[in-house]
Amino acid sequence: MPPTVTIHEPADLFALIQAAQRSRVPLCHYGVAHTGLGHRPPERHTAFQLAGEVMEHYERDFTARVHAGATIGAIQKALSAASQFLPIDADDDLTLGEVIDHNVYGPLRVGYGTMRDLLLGLHYADGLGRDIHVGGRVVKNVAGYDVTKLLVGAMGELGVVHEAFVRTYAIPSEVLGVTLEVDGAASVDGFVTPLLTSPAKPVWLHLTEEDGTLRLGLAYYGSSLANTAQFEALKSVIGQASGMKIVASRAMTLAEDAAERATRRGRRRQARTLVKIIVPPASTGEAWEALRQSAWGSQLRIDALPAHGVLWVGGDITADSAFNQAVTDMARRFDGVRVWHTRPDAGSEFEPIAPLPPDWAMLLAIKKTMDPHGLLNPGRTLVGEVVPT
Amino acid sequence: MTLATRDELLDDLRGIVGPAGLLTSPDELLVYECDGFSVARGTPRAVAFPTTTEQVAACVKTLRKHGVGIVPRGSGTGLAGGCVAFDGQVILCTSRMTKIESIDLADRVAVAQAGALNVTLSEAVAAEVARWNQNHAELPVGPMHFSPDPSSQRASTVGGNAATNAGGINTLKHGVTSNHVLGVEFVLPDGEIVRTRTAALYESPGPDLTGLLCGSEGTLGILTKVWCRLTPKPEHFRTVYTVYTLTFDACKSVSDVIAAGILPTSMEVMDGRMIRVVEDAFHYGFPTDAAALLLIEIDGVDSILDEQLERIMAICRANGARDIKHCSDPKRRTELWSARKRAFGAIGRLHTAYFTQDACIPRSRLPEAVERIVAIGAEHGLKINNVFHAGDGNVHPIFFFDESNAQEVQRTLEAAERVLQYCIDIGGTITGEHGVGVEKLAMMPRMFNPATIDTFQKLKATFDPDAVLNDGKLIPSKTLRIELHRPVSPNVPGGALCPPHHPPTT
Ligand SMILES: Cc1cc2nc3c(=O)[nH]c(=O)nc-3n(C[C@H](O)[C@H](O)[C@H](O)COP(=O)(O)OP(=O)(O)OC[C@H]3O[C@@H](n4cnc5c(N)ncnc54)[C@H](O)[C@@H]3O)c2cc1C
Repeated sequence: MPPTVTIHEPADLFALIQAAQRSRVPLCHYGVAHTGLGHRPPERHTAFQLAGEVMEHYERDFTARVHAGATIGAIQKALSAASQFLPIDADDDLTLGEVIDHNVYGPLRVGYGTMRDLLLGLHYADGLGRDIHVGGRVVKNVAGYDVTKLLVGAMGELGVVHEAFVRTYAIPSEVLGVTLEVDGAASVDGFVTPLLTSPAKPVWLHLTEEDGTLRLGLAYYGSSLANTAQFEALKSVIGQASGMKIVASRAMTLAEDAAERATRRGRRRQARTLVKIIVPPASTGEAWEALRQSAWGSQLRIDALPAHGVLWVGGDITADSAFNQAVTDMARRFDGVRVWHTRPDAGSEFEPIAPLPPDWAMLLAIKKTMDPHGLLNPGRTLVGEVVPT
Repeated sequence: MTLATRDELLDDLRGIVGPAGLLTSPDELLVYECDGFSVARGTPRAVAFPTTTEQVAACVKTLRKHGVGIVPRGSGTGLAGGCVAFDGQVILCTSRMTKIESIDLADRVAVAQAGALNVTLSEAVAAEVARWNQNHAELPVGPMHFSPDPSSQRASTVGGNAATNAGGINTLKHGVTSNHVLGVEFVLPDGEIVRTRTAALYESPGPDLTGLLCGSEGTLGILTKVWCRLTPKPEHFRTVYTVYTLTFDACKSVSDVIAAGILPTSMEVMDGRMIRVVEDAFHYGFPTDAAALLLIEIDGVDSILDEQLERIMAICRANGARDIKHCSDPKRRTELWSARKRAFGAIGRLHTAYFTQDACIPRSRLPEAVERIVAIGAEHGLKINNVFHAGDGNVHPIFFFDESNAQEVQRTLEAAERVLQYCIDIGGTITGEHGVGVEKLAMMPRMFNPATIDTFQKLKATFDPDAVLNDGKLIPSKTLRIELHRPVSPNVPGGALCPPHHPPTT
C-alpha cells in the first residue's frame, strides 16, 4: 500500500491533481468509513486525504466556512463555543468532505435534513485540478448551476471538495429522548405519517432491535416546556396507535444525545458485512420483516430510519452471492435500491449499487465532463460507457 | 430556415399538439413576449402546449429536426426573463400539463405534471388528507402541503418553481423548492426522457442529479414531472407586526432575532415607500408615516409559541420598534400576509414599468446593506422601494422607470448592477431566488471565476451539446448573446443581439 498523502492547502491539492494528469496515476480518497463503498481503487493509485479546520464561524448568521478536511468532531467542538452545532449524524473521525462525498446522514434527518439541505456552497478541485467555487456563504442562492447539490453523494468521483459553507443551528437547551416498544416492525409503517404530521413530530426517529425487542427511539430538541408539550402530544398519538408503548423517557444534553446516537451507529461500522437498502418510507417495516423471514433472518442486525425508508442490514455474517442476490431482490421487490457498504469480497464481485438509478447514463456523462481524464476515484461507482442517446 | 420549412415546422408541431395546442398569430404571441422582467422582450416563432411528456419529447425532436431553438415556459411569472424567446425560438409551455398524478400520504410524496400550479397541488393534498382521515379515523394524519410558497404561488407552476428553485415567505424555516423535490422527469434536448428517481425513494445513490436540475432555468432539460415531498402544514402561528421609524432598526431586529438562535417561519420587511403603496391600494390600516414594517411569524406547538413570541418582541422593542402588535387570530393573520403577498400587485396599479431586483446577503449585514442600496438608487436619480425576505437576507429592491425612455432604462440597469456588485462585495450573491435568466447574465463572470463559468458551460454542453435549449440564459452562450444594455430600438430597451456568425433567423 503506498503511503497516504495528506493535503493541507488547496494549492497542494490542485498540484496533486495536475501531477496526476501528467503521470496518469489516478487519485483515490475513499475516506475512513467508506472504504467498502464502490469498487476497490485501481492497483496503481495515489491515496490522499485532506486536513483542516473551521475557517470562519459567522455566528450571527448561523453559518460557517469549513475546510473539507476538518473532522466532524473538530467542527462540533469549534461550533459549540458559540452554542451552535452541525446537525448531522456522522462519526467524529469523519471529515466533512467524507460526509459530503457519501451523503452521510442518520436519524436527525427528520428534523434537519441531509448535507443537501445543510450545505450552502463548495470550493472543489475538478479533474483538471482547477479551483471551482459554487454556491456561497448566504442561505439562499440560485446563481449558476447547483453543483453543490450535485456533489453530495458523488463519492469523490466528480471533484475533490476542499472547502464548504454550512448552516449551523443553536444547541437546544434540553433534549428529551423517548423510547417506544413496538410489537412488530410493520406496525411502524402506518404510524410514521400520523406522527410526523402531529404536534409530536420529533427531530429524530430510529428503529432498532435490542435482545429481540423492537424499539423506536425518538427525541425532541427545545426548552423543557416545549419538550414536555411535545411529549404530551406524543402520548396522545400513541394512544390512538396500536402495538406501541412508551417504555422510557429521559431529559439530557445534546452531547449525551449525540453520544447515544453515535453508539448505535458505531455498531454498524464494526459489522463484517453491511448493506444499505432504500425503500419507499411506508415499506420500511414490511421490508424489515421480510428480511427477518429470509434464510439469513436470525443472523442479521438491522436498524432503520422509518421516516426515510432506509434499512442498514448486516452483522457478523458471510455475505456470499446468494445473500447479495437476496438483498438485491429485496430492494427490487419494494422498488428500492441496495448499496453495499462493507463487503466480504473486498469489492470485486458484487455490483456496488443495484438496481442502478434510471439517470445513471446521464451521471456517467457528467463524470466525463468534470473529470475528463478519469483521475478521481476512477472505477468506484460511475463505471461503464456513456450510451449515446 | 426557409419559409417552406417554417410552415412545415408548424404543421409538424400541430400534428403533435393539435391545432388548439399551437399559437402562431402575432396577436396571440404578444402575451408571450416577456415575463415579469419586462425589459427583456422577444417574440417567439410559435408557442406549443403539449399535454404529456411524450408530446414534449415529440415536439423537441421536431424542433431539433428543423434546427429551431426551444424555450420552456410555465406560467411566465419569472422575474429574470428566463422564459422569453429570442432569435426565432419556439416556446414549449407546460400550462396544459396540469395533472396531479398521485398523492401518496403514507410515503409523503406527490407526483405532479410540471404545469400544475403550486397552489393547486397543495389544495389537492389537503383534499386527499381529508379523504384519508375519513377512512383512518382511528389514527388520522395531520395537514400536509407542498411547502415552497413563492408569492406567485397562485399563478406559478410546480415545474417553474423547480426550474428556478423558487423561494418564498416560509423558506426561512422550511426551505426552498429544491429541499422539497425528491425527483424529476425531464426531456433532454434530443427528445430522450430521463427520470432521476425510482418510485417514492428519499435517496438515490450517486451524484444528486435532481439537485442539479433544480434551478437550471430550463437550460438542461424540460421538466415534465416533479416528485414533491409533502411535509406537515403548520397549524398554529403567532404573527408579530412591528413598526419602525428607521429601516435600519427593522433590519437590525431581523439580524438580532437570527443571532439569538430563533428560527421564525418568516421575517419580511416592507419599507416606508412600500407601506404607502400597499396602503393606498388596499387600505389595510398601516401607518403611512412609518419607515418600515416588519412581519414576523413563528409556527409550532401551540402551547410553546408564546414563550418564543415574548423573546422576539423583546428584541424588536430593544431595537426601537415604535409599535408592536401580535396576533393569533387567523383572520387578521391572513390579512397581514395578503398585504405582503399583494405588494407587487399594488405597485402594478401605480407604475407600468418596474423591475424587482433579487440578491442575497449575509443576514448580519442587512441593516447597512439596505441603507446602501437606497443610496445607490439615489446616486442614479432613482427611487427604490424595498419589500423583502429579510430573514434570509434576500433583498428585493424594486426599481421604477419610464419604459419609453431608453436612457432611463439603461440608468436603471446600471444602478441594479451596482447593487448586485455591492452584494457580491459583502459576501452575497446576485440572486437568491429569481434566477439569472437574461437579467443577470452580465454579472455571472463577476460572481464566478473563469474555471467555474467554464464548468457551467461544459455541464450545459453535456446535456445540450448543440445549445438548443433556452440558449443565452443563465450562462454566457457562444451562439446567442442577449444584451440588455444595447437597446435594439428606442421603444424596446432590451433584446437579443447575436454575433455575426449566427444571424437571427426571423
Ligand atoms: C408577483 C410575483 C411574486 C413572486 N414571488 C416570488 C417569490 O416569493 N419567490 C420566488 O422565488 N419567486 C417569486 N416570483 C418569481 C416567479 O414566480 C418564480 O420564479 C416561479 O418559480 C416561476 O414559475 P413559472 O411557472 O411562472 O415559470 P416561468 O416564469 O414560466 O419560467 C421561469 C424559468 O423556468 C423555466 N421553466 C419553466 N417551466 C419549466 C419546465 N417545465 N422545465 C424546464 N424549465 C422550465 C423557464 O425557461 C424560465 O427560465 C414572483 C413573481 C411574481 C410575478
